[in-house]
Amino acid sequence: MVEPVNSSFGKMLLEEVSPVVMVLCTPLVEETFLKNGLSFVETLKPFCNFRNIDVPVRTSSDQLYRLKKFTLRLFYASDIKQPNVEVAKQRLEHVITQAGEKDFQDMKSDPPQISDILSNPESEIAPSWFQYYNKELIRTLSFSDHEAFDHPVACLLVVSSKDEEPIKKFVDLFNSNRLPTDGTMDPNILKHYLLVHDNQDATTERTSKVLSEMRSQFGNNECNLLCTNSSKEGNVEHQANPWASFKSSVSADKLGCALTGDDIVEIKDLMQEFASRHIIPYMEQKVRELNQQISATRKGLRNQFKSFFRKGKVDGPDATKGSMYTYSSTESQIRILGDYAFMLHDYELALSSYQLISTDYNLDKAWKHYAGVQKLGKSGFQNATRCGLWWAEMLKARDQHKEAASVYFRICGEEPLHAAVMLEQASYCFVLTKPAMLHKYGFHLVLSGEHYKNCDQVNHAIRTYKSAISVYKSTTWSHIKDHVYFHIGQWYAIVGMHDVAVRNMLKVLDCGYQSKATQEIFLRDFFDIVKKTGMKHEVVGLQLPVINMLSLQVIYEDHRTYASQASALVEESIWQSLEDDIIPSLNSGKSNWLELQSKLLPKKYKESNVCVAGESVKVDLEFKNPLLISTSITSVSLICELTANSDDLKLDNEPSSSSLGPEISTEHNQVTTSGFSSFTLSEVEFTLGGGEKKLVRLTVTPSEEGILKIVGVRWELSGSIVGVHYFQSVPVKAKTARGRRKNKLTPTDALKFLVIKSLPRLEGSIDHLPEKLYAGDLRYLVLELRNKSESPIKNLKMKISHPRFVSPGNHEEELATEFPDCLKKGDEQNIVQHETNRTSSVFAFPKDVSLQGDRSLRWPLWLRAAIPGTISLYFTIYYEMENVSSIMKYRTLRMHYNLQVLPSLQISFEITPSPSRLQEFLVRMDIVNRANSGCFQIHQLSTVGSRWGISLLQPVDTILPSKSLLAGQALSCFFMIKDCRKSGTEDEETMSLPPSQTDVKLFTQDDDEKLFDIVSSPLASFHDSERSCQGPSVQVGPNTVDFILISRLAKSSSPSAVPDLPKILTHHSCHNSIRSSSPLSWSLDGPQTIHHDFLTSLCEIKLKMVIRNTSDGLSSVTINTNDCLPDAAAPTSSSGNQSGWRYLPTVIEEMKLTSDVMGSRLGKPPSSMESSPPFIWSGLSSTKVQIQPLSTTEIPLQISVFSPGIYDLSSYKLNWELSEHESATSSGTCQGYPYYLTVLQSE
Amino acid sequence: MANTACFIIVGRNDIPIYEAEVGSAAKREDAAQLHQFILHAALDVVQDLAWTTSAMFLKSVDRFNDLVVSVVNVVDSSPVVNVCFFLNLSTHTRLMLLHDSRNEDGIKSFFQEVHELYIKILLNPLYLPGSRITSSHFDTKVRALARKYL
Repeated sequence: MVEPVNSSFGKMLLEEVSPVVMVLCTPLVEETFLKNGLSFVETLKPFCNFRNIDVPVRTSSDQLYRLKKFTLRLFYASDIKQPNVEVAKQRLEHVITQAGEKDFQDMKSDPPQISDILSNPESEIAPSWFQYYNKELIRTLSFSDHEAFDHPVACLLVVSSKDEEPIKKFVDLFNSNRLPTDGTMDPNILKHYLLVHDNQDATTERTSKVLSEMRSQFGNNECNLLCTNSSKEGNVEHQANPWASFKSSVSADKLGCALTGDDIVEIKDLMQEFASRHIIPYMEQKVRELNQQISATRKGLRNQFKSFFRKGKVDGPDATKGSMYTYSSTESQIRILGDYAFMLHDYELALSSYQLISTDYNLDKAWKHYAGVQKLGKSGFQNATRCGLWWAEMLKARDQHKEAASVYFRICGEEPLHAAVMLEQASYCFVLTKPAMLHKYGFHLVLSGEHYKNCDQVNHAIRTYKSAISVYKSTTWSHIKDHVYFHIGQWYAIVGMHDVAVRNMLKVLDCGYQSKATQEIFLRDFFDIVKKTGMKHEVVGLQLPVINMLSLQVIYEDHRTYASQASALVEESIWQSLEDDIIPSLNSGKSNWLELQSKLLPKKYKESNVCVAGESVKVDLEFKNPLLISTSITSVSLICELTANSDDLKLDNEPSSSSLGPEISTEHNQVTTSGFSSFTLSEVEFTLGGGEKKLVRLTVTPSEEGILKIVGVRWELSGSIVGVHYFQSVPVKAKTARGRRKNKLTPTDALKFLVIKSLPRLEGSIDHLPEKLYAGDLRYLVLELRNKSESPIKNLKMKISHPRFVSPGNHEEELATEFPDCLKKGDEQNIVQHETNRTSSVFAFPKDVSLQGDRSLRWPLWLRAAIPGTISLYFTIYYEMENVSSIMKYRTLRMHYNLQVLPSLQISFEITPSPSRLQEFLVRMDIVNRANSGCFQIHQLSTVGSRWGISLLQPVDTILPSKSLLAGQALSCFFMIKDCRKSGTEDEETMSLPPSQTDVKLFTQDDDEKLFDIVSSPLASFHDSERSCQGPSVQVGPNTVDFILISRLAKSSSPSAVPDLPKILTHHSCHNSIRSSSPLSWSLDGPQTIHHDFLTSLCEIKLKMVIRNTSDGLSSVTINTNDCLPDAAAPTSSSGNQSGWRYLPTVIEEMKLTSDVMGSRLGKPPSSMESSPPFIWSGLSSTKVQIQPLSTTEIPLQISVFSPGIYDLSSYKLNWELSEHESATSSGTCQGYPYYLTVLQSE
Repeated sequence: MANTACFIIVGRNDIPIYEAEVGSAAKREDAAQLHQFILHAALDVVQDLAWTTSAMFLKSVDRFNDLVVSVVNVVDSSPVVNVCFFLNLSTHTRLMLLHDSRNEDGIKSFFQEVHELYIKILLNPLYLPGSRITSSHFDTKVRALARKYL
């Protein structure tokens, strides 16, 4: 059997399951003892626990055993009844409230770590007041009528010696006081009579007289005398006050002040004697009696027992019960037997008697049986509670915590306070199970907390939730987390601990997954609480709004400055490649500013970013509202530190800083470390709608030199919550997101800046740069540069990413006349041959350009939209400062613009040699209007260079009467160009054409309008870049022609896609080669018509062949004539004809007529010719000639004709062999052209 | 169809990777949190059971009767709420269903089909095991299955 003393449950049983002594006393007795501040029962109470009573007991068996420990419970007769439910409730509530107030001190502390909870010893897990509460709870349920534990075993009748007629009083006391219940209780109770003698005011004579009277009346053994209050003054102080532990409300030292040590010993002896001499023997005897009685009747009663239990189960505590099982009934007597035996620690007898009355239950232990019996015997909830409690204690003692928890859970009941306590106890059981069931623990704590809250036990509610938080702290179960934090926050607010409340509520704010209504409740309550605190809360890591650290981007200007926001966002690599050849090289061997810098700055600073005092550092950061409710955020600003730079700089580099002179070292001293006055911060306000993201730009402008660190960002919510976010917690990823900075830097380094003395900063802009324009549009723009500082800048250079699009002008404000008229011929003032130094693509401003003091420089720029598409134009302007800083000698200004170029006219050219004229070529120009809307008028076509003269074959007006090309319309025009180079000479300059011959005006309607001068600056330079861009992909030889078509937007065209209308558009087409496979051109010269008298002789006709070598190489040509036409020759020649443009000269009237004649007869002659060769070549049959490059040779030829007719003299071949410069030779064969000769019989 | 049903997939470290209220009862604000609490508490039981059985389908492992629930003011009119589990030991994933349906077979088939869906999710090379399942396709399928079986 388990030794009961060893477990807490056993202790509880010893205390609770012990005989009850009913105390009946007169008011005078009470008065006597109240002098000590104690009632009579209270005075005796400490002496009712006997540690070593050592009484021999013999119950059922004949074996003797000794009781070592024994307890008596003393109650006033009036207390021995079931307490009123309401009163009991209030009492329990009081207990809980008290405990709650006691716990309140540590309420502010953080929730414990779950590991701490688990490592605590068992006894510390549950709060200590639970034991007390359970005891109280059981007490409220005591004195029910169906069990004998609480039935008084003995009755103590107490009368004071001062009472009148004490003997009668004794009798009266017992008679007047009915036993509390009349049902199962023993009416023949053990009585004990006690006479109290107050030494302070009663006389001993009377007392002894009364005592002797008592003894004679009630029997010698049953009477005792108790003398108290021996101390006259009533100021005895007890070393270890025995009452202190029982009554804490009154100050302890007052208790028992009138009792001397002797009095206490007397009381002790009295109680011990009472217990050992009277109560125990009485119970012993009773047990024996009952045992005999029961064993006599046991067998025959079995069936009755069963019916007893059935009844007990079914009926519940109704009124009939008391009368049904009276004291005398056997069942009750067995019950009493069991209980008495239990109280006397004779557990075997108790067990056997319990087994007797509950044979259905075969449980293994006395404890459990006991509880089982209890449970059976009871119905009604409150009784179940008590037995449940005991049962749970039992289970706990046996380490069956899980089961204990479920018992607790079952006895929760409907009363919330009670349920709360039970649930809380259940939760502690879950911790104690092995392994600990923490989820259950948390859940039951939460349930319990809810109950506590419902009975306004906020302190307890907070306590339970606080423990629950330790379970749920790291959970990702969002609803759980929100619930716990939100409620504990609310409750903290109720008890007035607003700061803690706010701290807990903060965790709820990031609740985007909750419904909108819930979010509103959360926020509203949160702000209410915050307002109540009446102060600003600074919260690190506030989740409202959420900051997307990946979006963090720092924009600052060191030697790189940006003209606009857009340009700052451009990839650094683009700028770097653009600036490669204008910024000073890092590796230049000379001692330059860089070396100075490396000497000046320790490595640490070289790696940090540099910014300039007075210039702002911008930080872009994305804020996201996680909620569905729109939130307004105010006073968003950066948190920065600016420290003076710095002592270590000075220490590390003592020599070099001294070489810089005293200037810097004095500045060290002046720099303040306070950090607040030395920079200015921008403040931003914005409202985030539900789920909205916003990119916010924040700036800090340092005004002094030093080290600037951007530490974090702060913002305000509703004016009372200050959110702070520190950037140190930047994940490593953020680094790559800000990749355009030096990648080696750690994020923290990237937010650290070396602030240097303020420098001049160039500002630049381009006025009226259109965003949309048509391809070919030519614009005149002005680049405006401004330097606001007083110190001058010099040595300006500019590089443009697309020289094809933009070309800088030559003079400051060069235009006198209005654009585009200035480009026209005759406007001689600005026709200056532009510098030929275009290869470097770097434009250096003249040396004398220097800017300072708010002066601005306006520099002309020509813009031409070369190709359709979206174009990013990058300008970078390099400049140097004078005598300002040793750290930074130069800066660059970066400008970035985007152009959208719409397609306009597309032109293509096809050039074929004229079949009849050397050095003349036919040009077909195809124009398609590719624009979606907008009509264009073509104005002028020019060939570039002075080699080619151009002329119209047909006025365009006749083809295109409307004079403008509509969208999608195509047009073909024909021109003739003539190579004006002189044969044999390669020098182009010697034979310059009058310029007018290179230009053709396409429409003739406005004669007074001048043509554009294509050799003047912008057009020519654009053409150069076009040439290189359209570049000859294959070396096509020298016979290429460049054309420039100048068009304008038709005035009639409706509002177009382009906002500001273009004035002129130029279209450049370069490297148009002449479509011809051979390097030769030739023609037969001879008469067209001959009259001859064939009767006399055959006709000999002299012809002349002129061959021109159009290539650059030396050519040798063999001419073969053959008299009989091979069949294959005819198709060859005809296909050859197809390839080129046959030129039918329209200029000369006769020729036209002749051609008509020939055309009509064309079908006929071949058939006649095929039958017999109508003529023979009578000169050389084969001739070989060498022709110099670009020169012409004449070869005489002769034919003999025998009869009149029309002859086609195409039966010859030219075999050519071309040897070019690189000894590469090529060769080919050309068929002859048709040449018709009409021979007539002369009259 | 059951009045109350809350389906949750719990991944390693007890992190919920999928949640769905699949009951037909009118949605209540606080129902979600109660369901989470019950399911969360039931994890303890499942932990114990998982080591004692080789079955994947654990039937009802925990109960929570409504007597107490009603006192907590998160009233649920269902008489008994069972929690069922379907275990996938390889990924230590638990499929948990809180329900008041008596249809044992239906629940079993529901779990089987959802498990198949879950495996399909796992086969997706872009899905990181243990991360939240965000596929809307999965969501619709699960809800359809719930309508069918529960």
